[in-house]
Amino acid sequence: MDLGLYVHLPFCRSKCPYCDFNSYPLPEKQIIKNYIHALYEEIDIYSKKLKNVLLKSIYFGGGTPTVFSGFEINNLLNYCKSNFKIDNAIEITIEANPGTINRKKIEILFQSGINRISLGGQSFNDRILKRIGRIHSSEDIIRSYFQAREAGFCNINLDIIYALPDQSLKDLKTTLFKAVDLRPEHISIYGLTISPGTKFYLDAQKNLLNLPSEDIEFEMFRWAINYLKKNDYEHYEISNFALPRKRSVHNQIYWNNLPYLGIGAGAFSYINGYRYGNIKKPAEYIRRLSKGKLPIEQGERLSLKKKMSETIILWLRTRDGVNYEKFHQRFKTNLHQLFGLQIEELKKSKLIEEDTYSFRLSEKGIFLANKVFEEFII
Amino acid sequence: MTKEYDFNNNIRNFSIIAHIDHGKSTIADRLLEYTGTISERDKREQILDDMELEREKGITIKSKAVRLQYQAKNKQKYILNLIDTPGHVDFSYEVSRSLTACEGALLVVDASQGVQAQTLANVSLALKNELKIIPIINKIDLKTSDPERVIKELFSISELKIKTEDVILASAKENIGTREILEAIVEKIPPPSGRPDNSLKALIFDSVYNPYKGTIVYVKIVDGSIKPDTSIITMSNQKKYEVNEVGIFHPKMKSTKKLSSGEVGYIIAGFKDIKDVRIGDTITNMSNPAQNSLPGYKKVTPLVFCSIYPIDNKEYGNLKMALEKLKLNDSSLFTEPESSQALGFGFRCGFLGLLHLEIIQERLEREYDINLIATTPSVMYRVTTKSNEVLNVSNPSSFPSKMEIEKVEEPYVKLIIISPSKYIGGIMELLQNRRGQFKNMEYLDEKRAKLDYQIPLSEIILDFYDKLKSKSSGYASLDYEICGHMESDLLKVEIMVNHNVVDALSFIIHSDKAYNRARKIVEKLKEIIPRQMYEVPIQATIESRIIARETIKALKKDVIAKCYGGDITRKRKLLEKQKAGKKRMKKLGKVEIPQEAFLGILKIE
Repeated sequence: MDLGLYVHLPFCRSKCPYCDFNSYPLPEKQIIKNYIHALYEEIDIYSKKLKNVLLKSIYFGGGTPTVFSGFEINNLLNYCKSNFKIDNAIEITIEANPGTINRKKIEILFQSGINRISLGGQSFNDRILKRIGRIHSSEDIIRSYFQAREAGFCNINLDIIYALPDQSLKDLKTTLFKAVDLRPEHISIYGLTISPGTKFYLDAQKNLLNLPSEDIEFEMFRWAINYLKKNDYEHYEISNFALPRKRSVHNQIYWNNLPYLGIGAGAFSYINGYRYGNIKKPAEYIRRLSKGKLPIEQGERLSLKKKMSETIILWLRTRDGVNYEKFHQRFKTNLHQLFGLQIEELKKSKLIEEDTYSFRLSEKGIFLANKVFEEFII
Repeated sequence: MTKEYDFNNNIRNFSIIAHIDHGKSTIADRLLEYTGTISERDKREQILDDMELEREKGITIKSKAVRLQYQAKNKQKYILNLIDTPGHVDFSYEVSRSLTACEGALLVVDASQGVQAQTLANVSLALKNELKIIPIINKIDLKTSDPERVIKELFSISELKIKTEDVILASAKENIGTREILEAIVEKIPPPSGRPDNSLKALIFDSVYNPYKGTIVYVKIVDGSIKPDTSIITMSNQKKYEVNEVGIFHPKMKSTKKLSSGEVGYIIAGFKDIKDVRIGDTITNMSNPAQNSLPGYKKVTPLVFCSIYPIDNKEYGNLKMALEKLKLNDSSLFTEPESSQALGFGFRCGFLGLLHLEIIQERLEREYDINLIATTPSVMYRVTTKSNEVLNVSNPSSFPSKMEIEKVEEPYVKLIIISPSKYIGGIMELLQNRRGQFKNMEYLDEKRAKLDYQIPLSEIILDFYDKLKSKSSGYASLDYEICGHMESDLLKVEIMVNHNVVDALSFIIHSDKAYNRARKIVEKLKEIIPRQMYEVPIQATIESRIIARETIKALKKDVIAKCYGGDITRKRKLLEKQKAGKKRMKKLGKVEIPQEAFLGILKIE
């Protein structure tokens, strides 16, 4: 079985006010050690349980994986490699906060076998970086970018967020000019989501955020798409852009609704039709593994209907769209019989476009994707 | 004749009247305890208020009667009938009927707060019924109390004619003054004047529905006597009944052989419909009927109206049943089935006032667990058409078009407000904005004044009380009574969403205020209706002339930005929830708006 492996490292130097990920302030050294030990335990359990697995990708996400030392990450990666079979062309990514890395650490990461680095840049405007609670400056982004290049990385992603507080269309343009000037292989650009439980959520309720209007947000996204396309970036997923042949292997596993294994606190797995998540709190996660038990907290076995819905929705997120033949192969069902009516309606309202083999979101549909997705919920 | 008591001479019938929170119920409790009517064991705070809501709102909604036995200082035994009255202006008719069953009243005034609007209203009601008034200043234990000032205020009520020595200082909480009150009841309140050998005249002052016994009628026997197995008749509608049981309240119902003049008790006589036993009506004997009924009976008419719909249309059946049950005990509640394009099936309901409306709404939600939407309250307008037909219209949807209307009249009330004089300016401004007409202003003492106004009822049923309280830092009190109809320049405003009239949002309003209110609603709708896939106009119209307009721009962007690992389940569930939510949305002119948003519009003002 082909598998993507996700490793969650849930600690940060400080929590960004918009972040709703499972992350916690950096604890004392001993807890970090215990956490790494628990990850080893979890890998042990799965390596015994899962036979004939071939890893197509490994992804270190967070939190801020780079608050761990280069050696800790190196050892962890080696442990993964020695416990699972590894594809020759494996993609190994690490997320990095430009405020937490230096030349030496980047070199260690590269030498340990990591071949893709994802920089959480978010913006090239220092005023805005401060406003959204980032611990780094725009200069830090540029410096870490070149350090990564010099260390040997030839696959770099840059994360950008738009529709930020106090951000104008002009601010976003300046950020994207700078981003594209660096020529990273991959750019992810996310509209800011205000999630319950975050500081920004509370601020938004008190009307303290000064967020751009829906119209401006629309303009920002539209402009970004056009600008990146013009600069040879392929818009291959709603929020993701890549230079030719530089799509993210790991993330495409998600968008194809294919199996992945997540280890670490709060990490999700999708294996054999089960999707389940680990315990979120690191202390509890560590405790469970110290007893040799899997730290699973919540999960569901997906019904065929849910699998079909999800697969269509995830495929629709991508430029490749929904391929009738591929759908039939996976589900032994004719897509037209299931959703013929919806597909016709969506075509009429110009939210999707269709060719002989497949259909995908139209240019208009990308902006109103949720309306399209809703139609495929059974 | 009862042998134990010297007939009539040893009976006293009395009420306790007070402004809200001045301590009426606590005083009643002390009297009950002192006379041993209830034992310490079954004592709960405020015994007379047993509906959950009554306890919570601290007011008495339904009146009740209790019989106390008291041996006075003069060694004689007395029967004291305490008839509890509702403490709110909405129920003033019920108060007045309860008072006619008495010969005296305890006037309770808070020693810190002093005379309030309801105190005055109650005094004049009591005097109209020729009751002997015993003034009691309560809560004298509080540090803020100022009995001397309150006595002065009582003196200033010229109609009251009291002397300092008449005033009893009490603290029901500390059990101070209880004996003095009981003695004053015996000493000062005259015994009932009726004769047991006259023809029967029994005054109905309340009724309750009991699932086993049917409707139970609370009466005071004014003249004559009544016993089981006789035929009786209710005089206003000439309905005949056979008496099954009579009895007294001790404080629970206890059957007796008969009830004689002067006594207060209950009658069970196979009354089928609570509507047939009208509060204020007179019961007499079939075989020896009284010539005239007792004065003062009025048909109670609802003053405030609104439509009530279940949020989930499947609950219509439950709502219907719940309203029927409530009506068993509440003859003043009016209901009529109704349907609305926007809201589905529901009821047009009429109430005695806003508090009555709130109580019914809360009971439906709390006791019957039904989620409701209530439309903006309205009053009953009297519309004379060009063809000289007179229509009573409370529902905007049946308001005729301007061309058919000769004139529209609306109900007015006489409003009394008492407030510290420093707030009078703000209050007068509020009244001015509400189309109030100044009648009089009087100073009760150097610090407090009383305002008399005439004002359209429609102007005080929406958030008036809250505004008054905020203008006076909570110190002003008010009371009102209906005083007739006056012609007004009223018109109907309709709201259109995507070019379709939303019936539930139409309203009747004075022409001076139409534009402003329409603007507000249209703006609020723009704010709360989510963007649709196309542009949606929102318009307010009078006789199809547009007076306000807003446009909801088409939805431009609605897309989940991130979708990895654990997001997939979460986002799918979110979409599932959205899709399920769509089924519960209200359709307004093909535009779907969330339930909460709709409630938001109805709560405007």
